[in-house]
Amino acid sequence: MTNHWIDVKNADVILIMGANPAENHPISFRWIMKAKDAGAKVIVVDPRFTRSASKADLYAPLRSGTDIAFLGGMINYILQNKLHFEEYVKNYTNAAYLVNADFKMPGDLNGLFSGYDPKKRSYDPKAWSFQKNADESVKKDPTLQDPQCVFQLMKKHYSRYTPELVSRITGTPKDKLLEVYKLYSSTGKPDKAGTELYAMGWTQHTVGTQNIRTMSIIQLLLGNVGIAGGGINALRGEGNVQGSTDHGLLFHILPGYLPVPSADLKDTAAYIEKHTPKSKDPQSANWWGNRNKYLVSYLKAIYGAKATRENDYGYNWLPKLDPGMNGSWLMIFDNMIKGKLKGFFAWGQNPACSGTNTTKVRNALAKLEWMVAVNLFDNETASFWKGPGVDSASVKTEVFLLPAAASFEKEGSISNSGRWAQWRYKAVNPLGQSRADAEIIHDLYQKLKELYSKEGGALPEQLTNLTWNYGFKRADGSIRSVDIHAVAKEINGYFLEDVEDIPKLKPGEKAPPPPPPGTPKKMLGKKGELAGGFAQLQADGRTSCGNWIYCQSYNEKGNMMARRGKKDPTGLGMFSEWSWCWPVNRRIIYNRASCDVNGKPFNLKKAVVYWNPNAPLPNGKTGAWIGDVPDGPWPPMADEKEGKKPFIMRADGVAAIFAPGMKDGPFPEHYEPMESPLPDNLMSKQMNNPAVKIFKDANVKEDVLASNDARFPYVASTYRVTEHWQTGVMTRNTPWLLELQPRQFCEISLELAREKGINNGDTVEISSVRGKIEAVAMVTPRFKPFKIGDKIVHEVGMPWCFGWHTPGVGDAANLLTPTAGDANTMIPETKAFMVGIARKG
Amino acid sequence: MSNYIERFNTSERVLHWIVTASFFTLLLTGLGLYSTLFNGYFTLFGGGRNAILIHKISGIIFFLSSLYMFFNHQKDVTGFDQDDKQWIAERGGYLSRNASHFNIGKYNPGQKLFAIFIAAATLLLGVTGLFIWAPTMFPRWIVQLSLMTHGLMFVCSIMFVVVHVYLATIGNPGTIEAMLYGDVRSLWARKHHPKWYREVTGEKP
Amino acid sequence: MADTINQAARKGILVDTARCIGCRSCQVACKQWNKLDADKTVNQGTFENPRDLTPALYNRIRFIETDSSGEVTWRFLNDRCMHCGDAGCIKVCPSPGALYRTKDGIVAYNKEKCISCKYCVSACPFNIPRYDKDDKISKCNLCLERVSGGMTPACAKACPTETIKFGNRSQLIAKATAAKKTLYGENDLLGLGVAYALEGPPEQYGLPAKPGIPSSIFLWKDVIKPLGILGFWGSIGAMLLHYVTIGPKKVDDDLNVKEDRHE
Repeated sequence: MTNHWIDVKNADVILIMGANPAENHPISFRWIMKAKDAGAKVIVVDPRFTRSASKADLYAPLRSGTDIAFLGGMINYILQNKLHFEEYVKNYTNAAYLVNADFKMPGDLNGLFSGYDPKKRSYDPKAWSFQKNADESVKKDPTLQDPQCVFQLMKKHYSRYTPELVSRITGTPKDKLLEVYKLYSSTGKPDKAGTELYAMGWTQHTVGTQNIRTMSIIQLLLGNVGIAGGGINALRGEGNVQGSTDHGLLFHILPGYLPVPSADLKDTAAYIEKHTPKSKDPQSANWWGNRNKYLVSYLKAIYGAKATRENDYGYNWLPKLDPGMNGSWLMIFDNMIKGKLKGFFAWGQNPACSGTNTTKVRNALAKLEWMVAVNLFDNETASFWKGPGVDSASVKTEVFLLPAAASFEKEGSISNSGRWAQWRYKAVNPLGQSRADAEIIHDLYQKLKELYSKEGGALPEQLTNLTWNYGFKRADGSIRSVDIHAVAKEINGYFLEDVEDIPKLKPGEKAPPPPPPGTPKKMLGKKGELAGGFAQLQADGRTSCGNWIYCQSYNEKGNMMARRGKKDPTGLGMFSEWSWCWPVNRRIIYNRASCDVNGKPFNLKKAVVYWNPNAPLPNGKTGAWIGDVPDGPWPPMADEKEGKKPFIMRADGVAAIFAPGMKDGPFPEHYEPMESPLPDNLMSKQMNNPAVKIFKDANVKEDVLASNDARFPYVASTYRVTEHWQTGVMTRNTPWLLELQPRQFCEISLELAREKGINNGDTVEISSVRGKIEAVAMVTPRFKPFKIGDKIVHEVGMPWCFGWHTPGVGDAANLLTPTAGDANTMIPETKAFMVGIARKG
Repeated sequence: MSNYIERFNTSERVLHWIVTASFFTLLLTGLGLYSTLFNGYFTLFGGGRNAILIHKISGIIFFLSSLYMFFNHQKDVTGFDQDDKQWIAERGGYLSRNASHFNIGKYNPGQKLFAIFIAAATLLLGVTGLFIWAPTMFPRWIVQLSLMTHGLMFVCSIMFVVVHVYLATIGNPGTIEAMLYGDVRSLWARKHHPKWYREVTGEKP
Repeated sequence: MADTINQAARKGILVDTARCIGCRSCQVACKQWNKLDADKTVNQGTFENPRDLTPALYNRIRFIETDSSGEVTWRFLNDRCMHCGDAGCIKVCPSPGALYRTKDGIVAYNKEKCISCKYCVSACPFNIPRYDKDDKISKCNLCLERVSGGMTPACAKACPTETIKFGNRSQLIAKATAAKKTLYGENDLLGLGVAYALEGPPEQYGLPAKPGIPSSIFLWKDVIKPLGILGFWGSIGAMLLHYVTIGPKKVDDDLNVKEDRHE
């Protein structure tokens, strides 16, 4: 989230699209209802009339997988009717940037942008470059009139997204479309806030990243980023998925969103050169310019004294990706089924149920030599070898199931979607032999270290050189149990040596006269102290920090995450003294964009921050931001000398409406899902996202797609229900919850049920080209047929929380879903695929 | 002529006392259910749950025995002749201190009506009692109506029983002997049931 | 036996259905606090489950779908004991202390004292009481132990959207009235302890439009029973009166035979 849960109450219009918070994030509705109490309007756009829709002021249906068309139409509506917030767009986005003259867009190139290589199925982003001045700065047209400026290109691109065409693609009635557009774009006024809540309904598509990009563009056009009640807010699907992502869960990022080094970056210098954006704009803070400090401090945190300037801080021991290598979920199981992996840790996950195209996942697990499953309960993955249709005798995989402790059986931090890291305490001891994950990892590490020390192996230093000071050490150096506070402190980081506070000089600034002899040195921190914030981190090994964005979370003042202060001076619900949020306790990121270039809030009633030019500073100067922790102390943009632009994580300091960093186009464009009910994309000749990886291997029979196939005529989507969590491993083992949702079901419109002779409560079989499942038919007016182009298209939906391991509930819905992933992230496309349905027995 | 003639044989008497005993058991177990005023009666049976159990058991006994008794005497109690009408017209002479003479058979119309009423009440109390026994198995309105009817029939029954006991004991001295010993004195029979007396003894009027 | 209620001190719940998202936290929180077992259920083609209150389910959400001229609504109603101000169950309960009213106005019960007569089942205007495997009454008691300890009932505590709001009943009602909500149960049955703000006519939610204690129950308890007692004593009195005024019909009077064996 750019904002946070409580902040939703400050919105004037709440767009819920790609999410179903009433069912999957019920607590969020506390704040949505508070917003409604204050007069806010709630819009829900969903293929299905959900429990969230039941509370909406405006509900609009759309066919799964057509969000870009829907939102592209909104961009068009905003621009055609000049409803955008011009001041914001001009100052805080790259709308004024001029794109090179050769740049062509899908309207001219049959659905493609310039620079596409069909053989590689990828774009050359150079084709999307900006026009440069002689000094390498980007050419701009502040009037936004130049036909090559981002604003005009955007206007041209989305002019194709007329309400009529959008309605033909999405199936949303035109009047509903316009109602949504009108209501949401009413937040383009300076004193109005619109927020967007999304979740897997947007991400799990082959155009997932672009779905969110489209909304980001809308939010920027309406000036809704950085303000209270605004932002673009991902509702994370697990209590701590934000935390695990922050701490390097994904294959391509180290903790703190530092890219995992590629093997061709031979040293820290090469890494830093590659991953440090440069800007000559004096008004750009270019915060990622500090990448070197974060990398070196990270290396010092994990390798400690073993990391020295001489050995490049142990950079060579870091695991590397081969250039171009992709280690995403889909690739793990693709490699596994091809026999390229020997072993697998299924830690706190249940891929034999949650993995898209589950048949492939289950067959892949059988190719392993060993698998360790760590979980609270036995599940479809740990017991895959005795699953339905599996010849147990032929499975050679050796499976170990380690019982893990539940969250209330251990202490530690949880980071919620709003980036709040909250400390939690242990309520009860773990049951039986179950243990906290950290304890299991600890033992595993000790054993591996012992084996590597004894037997050697490939690059043992990678492991043996790790610092591991996570608890009280016995005389023999072994640690009895993990002290999770020690882990938290390592994440926060330490001063490894005394670090003096030497102010950085601006180019051309004169060094201050040396202080009189005898003056005590001004220190940033003394050796052994906890770091107070990432601004204190050093690139020379004098500081350590396990995750720079968490620097300050556990400092000399104590465990900031354990704070429980209830002060809310602004009334905006920021609760700055409750727990701690990254970065540096900033509750709303890019909050400087909530003010005009002089630092005056656009909405005085809901001011997140404001610039007080007269506030005295300790160094004798005046001028400070008041309110939330600002994105840096610098004055607002109007100060030409000192001022900085608000989007500090961008090299150029402004938000990107035009995004050359994307793999599938600088502007989002509608493409059909990999499995579509249509023979053609009604928007262009390009059917699917041109940059997605196609899984097509003669040896992997599980990877099949069936688009526009008469056997599978119905659009399908999967989702979660309030009553079960994820694959249901925890909730299916909670009888109270199984009582509420006892069996796999499939929601079907009255019209489709009539057509197929299905009655409510009948058992039906739902099949895709990859598999089939049995479910109870839930015939409901909450699904309605769509009119797509000139034909009627039905959509059905089912939850994915069930699996064969619980008797009588039915097997995994993901048996139906395809092996296809987003062009940028490879997140699987489980929210739009094609099925057939038939009454059973 | 003997001083005594047989009015009820042994099995008839036993049946009557079974009915009587079960009726009063029902009464005592039911009083606590009737109103919290009579909650103390539950202690006689060791608490409300036991009282309900005994109420159910004695209910079955009463239902069967009472109906059996009615069918036993059905012939004698369901026919009303001219003399009976006379009796009814003069309220059996009970509203006057003067001696009255009615040509009555084995049972007078009051007794007949009482028997019919008790039979009907038995039926109603039994059926409604069944609904009340298992209220969740029947539609709510039936059970609700049953509760009302059960209460109403009980009230009527107890009032009739008071009258019955009075008339069978101190109201008509000598009557009780029929139920105690089976025999009644001839004089009593001649006075109260002359037609029956003549039938039994063959005496001419 | 008389069930009197102090309206001013009365605590209660206001269920604002417009806020309910059907998450059923209330349903589960109730089971947790009251240590109730799960019921075995089947999916019958609806999210709603269990389909009715059970001895182990004091509170549940009814899912109500409507579809008129293309406009779909999905409403959720918290179905549970309403803690009526004039409680049919207390009225008919023959076991003192089995069903009773607390000083907070809660219709509470004591399983120890329940004699399993099930009269309350029939007397309830909303068909709420259920009987457990020991044949004892089971229903929502508004977490009276929590309430007496100054806490809110488990359902209200768990409700994320403040649909179930617990507090002083008059204040809750006053607030809802001020917010121009359509109230249900404000005055019926001397006011329901669990009142509702509805978004449509009560019938749409499966609630009786005019809730009341069933008339047969009223007749039974309030008419027949007092009259019955009167009748019983009346009949005894009448007989005594007859005995002393008109007197018994002595056989001897007629026939002048002194042979009375039994007097």
